[in-house]
Amino acid sequence: MYKKMIMAGLAARPVRTTVSILAVTLEVTLILVVVGLTAGISDETAKRTEGVGADILFQPPNSSLLLALSNSTMPVALGDKIREIDGVKAVVPIQTQVNSTSGLEVIYGIDFDKFNEVTGGFIWHKGGRFSAPDEVIVDDIYALARHVNVGDHVELLNHKFKIAGIVEHGKGARLFIPLQTAQGMTGAVNRASLFYVKLKDPDQVHTVIERMKQVFPTYGAIPLREYAKLMMSTSMPALDAFIETVVFVAVCIGVLVIFLSMYTTITERTREIGILRSLGASKQFIVGLIFQESAVVCLTGIVTGIAASFLMARLVTLVFPTLTVLITTGWIAKASVFALLSGIIGSLYPSLRAAAQDPVEALAYE
Amino acid sequence: MNILLETIALQKIYKVGKIDVEALRGVNLRIRQGELLAIMGPSGCGKSTLMHVLGAMARPTSGKVMIDGENITGMTDNQLTAIRRKKIGFVFQKFNLLPTLTARANIEVAQHIHGQAAGSDHDQHLAKILQLLMIEEKMGRKPFELSGGEQQRVAVARAIANRPAILLADEPTGSLDSKNSEIVLNMFRELNRRFKQTTILVTHNPELVAYTDRVIEMRDGVVVSDNDPIPRDTESELVQPARSV
Ligand SMILES: Nc1ncnc2c1ncn2[C@@H]1O[C@H](COP(=O)(O)OP(=O)(O)O)[C@@H](O)[C@H]1O
Ligand SMILES: [Mg+2]
Repeated sequence: MYKKMIMAGLAARPVRTTVSILAVTLEVTLILVVVGLTAGISDETAKRTEGVGADILFQPPNSSLLLALSNSTMPVALGDKIREIDGVKAVVPIQTQVNSTSGLEVIYGIDFDKFNEVTGGFIWHKGGRFSAPDEVIVDDIYALARHVNVGDHVELLNHKFKIAGIVEHGKGARLFIPLQTAQGMTGAVNRASLFYVKLKDPDQVHTVIERMKQVFPTYGAIPLREYAKLMMSTSMPALDAFIETVVFVAVCIGVLVIFLSMYTTITERTREIGILRSLGASKQFIVGLIFQESAVVCLTGIVTGIAASFLMARLVTLVFPTLTVLITTGWIAKASVFALLSGIIGSLYPSLRAAAQDPVEALAYE
Repeated sequence: MNILLETIALQKIYKVGKIDVEALRGVNLRIRQGELLAIMGPSGCGKSTLMHVLGAMARPTSGKVMIDGENITGMTDNQLTAIRRKKIGFVFQKFNLLPTLTARANIEVAQHIHGQAAGSDHDQHLAKILQLLMIEEKMGRKPFELSGGEQQRVAVARAIANRPAILLADEPTGSLDSKNSEIVLNMFRELNRRFKQTTILVTHNPELVAYTDRVIEMRDGVVVSDNDPIPRDTESELVQPARSV
C-alpha cells in the first residue's frame, strides 16, 4: 500500500522525480568515476613502476611519493656515490617532467645506456635509440592512442620532438627523452629527480637500503616493490584529500537536491498529509512515507549511477586509451551508502516538518 | 442507551496573533450510539471546530470531551491519532480524496492505516458499502475522473470502510448540486440504518434537517437548541452541568 502511494506520488511529479534521480545518478557517477580514475592512474603507475626492473627508488630529501609531483632534484654525480655502495650493480639518473597539455603524461629524461643497464633494456616495436637531442621514445600505447609513428613529430613541453622509436610499455613512463635535453629544458643542468638502482642480489634490498641511509641520511630510498604497492592503494594523502573533496561535493549535491525535492513535495502535499492524518496516520507514518519516497529516488539513482559510471569508464578509455578507470565493488558499495545517506539527510527536515503539521491546519491548506 | 460522545463545558480558543478567538464557548452535548443527528448554524458559529474536537483532530482549550469513554483533553498526539484511527470516520466538504490515487487505492490507504487485515468478512462489508453507494464501477478511477457526487461517495466509503463507531461529516453536501446532495444525504441515512454508526452531519442548509432524527442548533460557539428525543435525566445519573448561556 505504502508502495502504491509512493509510486503514485512520484509519478504525479515526473519532472521533479526525474531531476532528483538524475542528481543521485550524478552523485554516484561523480564518486565512482573520479575515484576510479585516480585509482586507475595510481594502479597503472604502480604496474609501470614495478615493470621498470630496478630494485630501489632513490629520491631527494622531502620528495613526494608521487613521482610526477616531485620537483626537487639532486646532482647526477650522486649516482656515482650510490654506485659505490656495496651490493649495487647499476644506477640510472632520471629527470621526470610532466606534460599536461593533454592529460597528465610523465616524461622520463634518461641516460639511455644506464637505463638499459638497470631495466634490462627496452623491447622494441619499431625504430631505435635517440640519435639527436630532440628525439623521443614512446611506448606502444601512446603511439596507438595518438596515431603516431616513428619519424612523426610530437609537441611536448613546448618543444618539438621527433619519434625515434616505439617500445613495449611498462618501463616507468610512456615517454622518454635524453637526460641532457630534459635538464636543458628545466635549467637543472647535471641534476636528476630520482635514481633507479639495480642490485646484484634483489633479496638484499633492505640491507642495501640500510647502507644507503648511513651514507645519505636525509635522502629517501625505498624498495621499488613497496613503492609500487603504495601507488597501488590510494593511501597517498594528496589523493585521499582529493577523493574526500569529491565525495563531499557529490554528497552535498545529493543532499541539496533531495532536500529541495522533498521540501517542495511536502509543501505541495500539505493537504494530502492532513487527509492521511485525519484517517488516523501517525506522525511516524508520515515520516516513513517521505523517507521511503526519497529511498526510492535514491535507489533508482544508485542503479542508474552505477550503470552510468561503467558507461563513462568505457567512454574514457575509448577517448583516452592511456587512462584506466578502476571501478571496484568496494567503491560501488561506498558510493551507494553515500547516496542513501544524502537521501536520509536531505529528507530529515522535510519529513519532520510534515509530521509536525497540525492536522486541522494541514487540511485547511489551499 | 450507550453514550458515545459527550462534551462538558467544552471551550476552544484560537490564538490569532494577540487576539483570542473563542470558537466554542462552553458546549454541552451527549450523543448516543447509533444516532443520526445534524448540527446546524450560521457560518462561523463553531460547527467545524466542534467536529474537529469530537473527531480527535484537535484538543479542547478547556472542558471535557469524552469519546467512547475516554477523555481526550490531556491526550498526546499519538493517543489522539489512535482514536481517529480506531473510532472516527471523516467526510469533508471538499471530498479530500488523495488526488494521485484511484478510488480503490484511496480506500485501501484507509484500510492500511487502520491496520485492517484483508479478509473475506471485511471484503464483504466493503462490497456492501460500495453497492449501497453505487460506486462499484468507479473504483479504478482517479478523483479527477469522477463527478463531485461520485467523489463524495468514495470519500464516504473510505470513511466507513473500517467500521468506525462515529462518522463525522462537515458540510458533506456543501460542494454538491441539489440532486447529488439528495443522493448523498439519503445514503448517509441508509448507511446509519444499516451499519448503526453514530453519524453527525454538519450543515448550514436547513433542508438537511429532514434527513435526521435530531437537530442541534449552534450560534456564536454555543448550543442554542437541541431536540434530543430522549430526555436527559432518564438515561444517565451523570450530573448535568449548568448551561453557559
Ligand atoms: N484555525 C483558526 N484560527 C483562528 N480562528 C479560527 C480558526 N478556525 C476557526 N476559527 C474561527 O473560529 C470561529 C468558528 O469557526 P468554525 O468552527 O470554522 O465555524 P463554522 O464551521 O461553523 O463555520 C470563527 O470565528 C472562525 O473564524
Ligand atoms: Mg465549517
